[in-house]
Amino acid sequence: MNESDRGGAAALTAAAGEEAARYSRREFIKRVIASGAVASAAVYVYGGLQGCGRGPSVAGGVERLISLNVNGEVRRVDVLPQETLAMTLRYKLGLTGTKLGCDRAECGACTVLIDDVAHYSCSTLTHSVRGRKVVTIEGLAGPNGELHPVQQAFVDELAPQCGFCTPGQVMAAVALLRQNPRPTREEARIALSGNLCRCGAYDNYLNAVMRAAAQPSET
Amino acid sequence: MAYKHIGKDFTPHDVVAKVTGQAKYAEDFRAEGMVFCRLLLSPMPHGRVRNIDASEALKMEGVLGILTADDVPAIPAPNAPILTKEPMFVGEPILAVAAVDETTAQDAIEKIKVDIEPLPFTIDPLQSLFPGGPNARSDGNVGNVGIELQTLKWTAADFARAGEGKLPMGKAVEEWSYGDLDAAFAKAKIVYDETFVTASNSHHSMEPRSCMAYWQNGKCFVHASLQSHTYTIPQIAQYLGIDPQDVVLIAEYCGGGFGSKGSAYPSMAIPALMSKKLGRPVMMRISRAEEYFIGSARNGFQGRIRIGFGADGKVLGVDLFIVQDNAANNGFWDFRGAGEAVSLVYTPTAMRFRAVPVYTNLPSRTAQRGPGQNQMACIVEPLLDRAARELGIDRVEIRLRNAPVTGSPVGGERRPVTSAYVREALEKGAARFNWREKLRENGKRDGSKVIGVAVGQAYHPAGFFGFDGLVRITPDGKLHIHTGVGNLGTFSHSATARIAAEVLKVDWENCIVERGDSRRHLPWNIGQFGSNTSYTMSRTNYVAAMDALTKLKEIAARELGGSPDDYDVDGSRVFQKSNPSRGLGYGEAAQRAIDLGGRYSGHELPQDIHPITRASASALAGTGLIGVAKDTLPGGATAAFAVAFAKVEVDLETGQHRILEFLTVGDCGRVIHPMGLATQLKGGSVQGFGLACLEHIVYDPQNGLPANVGLYQAKPPTYLDVPAEMQWDAVDKPDPTSPLGTKGIGEPPMGAAAAALLCAISQALGGHVFNRTPVLPDMIINVAAGRSQSHKPLQVHTQ
Amino acid sequence: MSRDMMPHFELYQPDSLENALDLAKRLGRDGWIIAGGYDSLDWFKDRVKRPKALIDLGGIESLKGIRETPEGLEIGALTTLTEIERSPIVREKYGLLADAARRVASPQIRNAATLGGNLCQDARCWYYRYGVNCYRAGGNTCYADTPQGQNREHCLFGASRCVAVSPSDMGTAAVALDARMVVRNSSGERVIPAEEFFIGPAVDITRMTVLEPGDILTAVRFPAEWAGAKFYFEKVSDREAWDFALVSIASAMILENGVIRNVRMACGAVECVPRRLKVVEQTVTGSEPNEELAQLAGKTAVQGATPLNFNHFKIPLMENLVRRAIRAAA
Repeated sequence: MNESDRGGAAALTAAAGEEAARYSRREFIKRVIASGAVASAAVYVYGGLQGCGRGPSVAGGVERLISLNVNGEVRRVDVLPQETLAMTLRYKLGLTGTKLGCDRAECGACTVLIDDVAHYSCSTLTHSVRGRKVVTIEGLAGPNGELHPVQQAFVDELAPQCGFCTPGQVMAAVALLRQNPRPTREEARIALSGNLCRCGAYDNYLNAVMRAAAQPSET
Repeated sequence: MAYKHIGKDFTPHDVVAKVTGQAKYAEDFRAEGMVFCRLLLSPMPHGRVRNIDASEALKMEGVLGILTADDVPAIPAPNAPILTKEPMFVGEPILAVAAVDETTAQDAIEKIKVDIEPLPFTIDPLQSLFPGGPNARSDGNVGNVGIELQTLKWTAADFARAGEGKLPMGKAVEEWSYGDLDAAFAKAKIVYDETFVTASNSHHSMEPRSCMAYWQNGKCFVHASLQSHTYTIPQIAQYLGIDPQDVVLIAEYCGGGFGSKGSAYPSMAIPALMSKKLGRPVMMRISRAEEYFIGSARNGFQGRIRIGFGADGKVLGVDLFIVQDNAANNGFWDFRGAGEAVSLVYTPTAMRFRAVPVYTNLPSRTAQRGPGQNQMACIVEPLLDRAARELGIDRVEIRLRNAPVTGSPVGGERRPVTSAYVREALEKGAARFNWREKLRENGKRDGSKVIGVAVGQAYHPAGFFGFDGLVRITPDGKLHIHTGVGNLGTFSHSATARIAAEVLKVDWENCIVERGDSRRHLPWNIGQFGSNTSYTMSRTNYVAAMDALTKLKEIAARELGGSPDDYDVDGSRVFQKSNPSRGLGYGEAAQRAIDLGGRYSGHELPQDIHPITRASASALAGTGLIGVAKDTLPGGATAAFAVAFAKVEVDLETGQHRILEFLTVGDCGRVIHPMGLATQLKGGSVQGFGLACLEHIVYDPQNGLPANVGLYQAKPPTYLDVPAEMQWDAVDKPDPTSPLGTKGIGEPPMGAAAAALLCAISQALGGHVFNRTPVLPDMIINVAAGRSQSHKPLQVHTQ
Repeated sequence: MSRDMMPHFELYQPDSLENALDLAKRLGRDGWIIAGGYDSLDWFKDRVKRPKALIDLGGIESLKGIRETPEGLEIGALTTLTEIERSPIVREKYGLLADAARRVASPQIRNAATLGGNLCQDARCWYYRYGVNCYRAGGNTCYADTPQGQNREHCLFGASRCVAVSPSDMGTAAVALDARMVVRNSSGERVIPAEEFFIGPAVDITRMTVLEPGDILTAVRFPAEWAGAKFYFEKVSDREAWDFALVSIASAMILENGVIRNVRMACGAVECVPRRLKVVEQTVTGSEPNEELAQLAGKTAVQGATPLNFNHFKIPLMENLVRRAIRAAA
């Protein structure tokens, strides 16, 4: 698979004479789908009905079949132009640990790491993360399934309540500790301030972040 | 007495799943052939659907079907319908469309033409009570659970008599009183007559109420977001028009409810009914905006309180009148909680309570953490401080002088409460907070910043009785505690399960909590709401465990001789007291129970248990020793309390505040799970800060349109709006009617924290009392700048 | 009412500005330029704005980065707010920008949202965002400016059929720093002073800036004149995260011997554009920044304010923030 990511897309936008190339790529897509190499369950939520040919009103635009690097694995996925990363993760890659609390960048439950930086996956177009490394809550555990130090600290502090915002809180905390392994409580508070918790577990979450930060680790 | 489990921390079984993302909430399930449905919502606040033309939509490729009000069971008015022909608020679901994918479903919705005849509407209860005022419903404007749906208009004279800015008090539809009110006010040194408004605020559960359902072999499988479990099954069955035994409910995790998911709710019937029609699993994802429409909110009040204090600060008389904004349907009876709270927390010698719940064209309401009690904490606590100031009494002292004790009466029925340790909570809190010392900082000004130091308190009932317990010991020696209570995130499903482990003296590693899925055969329990779990389910688990204990001893006596009384248990063994080496392991005893059959194995069951418990116990019969019983222990009116202490810095130039120090103390009976208790005390407090100073529903009165359909508009508190650190404590004194002394706590910390914050702001403003929630920066700026407020005293749903 | 599912659009991800400009020209009004996407996606999810095609600038490296130039500082339009907040050069010489960036929305939004996107964001009037057919949406009424309109967050100045305010924290800072907006289209480049970049409803009620289809904001230049000046930024909002300003203030001041030699001040969320406080600037220039001057500046700033039913608190708030800016220089 040598999908050329952004460059490929841009080339398409520039060139009007690439119809033939696009056609052959479509053929390629069909073959990949037939061989089952594409993430399954692609029909959920977005345009499963129309297959790959759903009417772009303007010629050109991004190629739908793309490679995504998620939790260290490269996955081929058929992605619509308007698809958000949260939906791709949840409905095409089966990674339902990333939660949708608002779908509007207002709560943080969908927080994932993109190149080690915390982002709201609900408001990130999937096409914009090609060539970048995505890590979700499912990608944190160690090789033998042991909890990430942040996760362990969240357990030890009984940090979650209902648990729905928890994956996002964990991801925001991991992003913080990667950038600042020894934050002050105030720094942690600011770093996590893009994650709402309606149960009001903020104090416990902060205690957990500070506990994780106090551990010797290479998070 | 040394306990094995009570009062000790443990790691609940569901917490690891929550931190790893493995916990599955309703929208995380998939089923073969699953399709999606979307809702068409009313664009107007009140209307009558004259015609629906879905022909174009149904012709679209991928569109599978439509569900309208005609296709779903009718819910008796004034309860909220599943789908409606008379939409009564903007955002009320009119129809649902299913398609192979969600975008197609939404595209189809856009192609449907709905002809709606606009009807008069109102978002202000007082407008509806005014002669000739609009009714929110075509069948009336006043009612609630237990109050007949009726049309009630007050007279013009009622309104005129009140005067500008004062709540008119016409005919009430609910009323109680005790004592000689006139005498009480005559004796009072100070009498305040205050008109107040408490805002409606949304629950903002982080998980919107998405739902997935399908049918298999005549049973309907429902994956839903519910804070309760078995309690909701008969309700779901009613929505679907099927037998409760045919509902399989999977609700292992619930992403927040706070009262809004305590009972089944109409929208959850839609995917199930659509699935029945299509023969395919149906997922209905609910968006954040939709959650604001169908996800419910707290009832708002327009109220008036006359409160009289003796020279010693004792509350002598209270005359309370509440106009409750019901929204469009029957939601909850916050007004009742309001009256009861005032009668108990301030123990007035005489009191009259009157209320009128009025329908308005706003999204349905349900209970929200401390429904009624917490609104009143926000209003009465600052008045208490005002009286304390005028009378020269310390603010903790005035609370001590009015505090209820065990046996103090609550409400119009004057039922004595089973326990009340408010004084102890106040004293413990004052000592730990260093109240006297901190008071020296009260009112200190540094530039534009002023310090306010305050205390607040709140109450809620703390548990029910009469539900069922079900435990099971299997031949592998494990104790299974079956609980139908639900999982709101309090971990009390497990904390109360440990009561059974305590009674049967089983190590926690040998316990399995069975919950969250009907297929795990759960008993009839009330839901996880009303701060009740720690009392109600401690009792059910206690009686079931006691039943199992009796059976263990009987089996041992039968096997090893002597009488059951000669036996005791520990370490998963039942043994002779006189010779502990003679005994049976629990696994062996369980096998004997299976062999014995009858009541030991669950083949014979008590007569008084609920049909749902009976079905569950029957399904488990023969798999082990079954302990099952209905809770018939003596109970009473339970009461939980919290007090909160806060030091707050208010910036008079910007209207912003910072909570510098905060302590909350709970009276929750004996503490069973300290870490779990801490989360309830602190989390409730965070919600209290939102209630006090951020959250409210805003509507445009001219168009009936909601201003807050997103979290950024509705503003629940963030990390940066709450104290950087929070302290908690507990009285830890047992409730005498609870087998191991436990009672609930979930709701009062919210009211106590809200009150403490509002009182502290009031202190910083030199004693100014707003008589309104929430208190927003603009209101503080206006007071500090000597300007009038933008809202009129009785105006509701304003910014 | 139909919400929450983005309709189909075509997506372009050009990797050079030239390609983006070509696309922008070709697509014209059918095209919609996105950077971080945090303003745009909401519109699409609400199905209120429905472009046929998106031009995602995220892949254009030349639009990113912070560069010192002989004239001052140039920040690429696609530079994220987090980069601005953390940039040593910005913090050292243009701390006002870092202070403003830090108060935008939430950390995750700042990690993706860009300077250009923040400057170009649309109005946040809740009626307009709800999707009603108001003046700004091309209709013929304003819902906010009615006797019962809920207009706590709306304007004190410059109402002209529309009473929405500028939501951009970076815009307020940019006006105070006399920033220059570098705008490209297929026919060339133009450089526009920040004050002229933002336009009010009297000029064009459907736009917040001078940008027209085909235009791309490529960079913002901050003149050296204000490097290292005495800055003050404060944003008052209901919550400390996410919320838009109720009122904000940005000021840049150069003092000489304890006297204000040069000053620029702007207020956010009081007008449809960041409101430059020219009369305040003239009034305080040449004076010592003391409490008396602060009081005078505050009073001067709110002259002519015309409150709506629910926003008169913005008058004392604006007054107080202006005072604080002066006091901070004392």
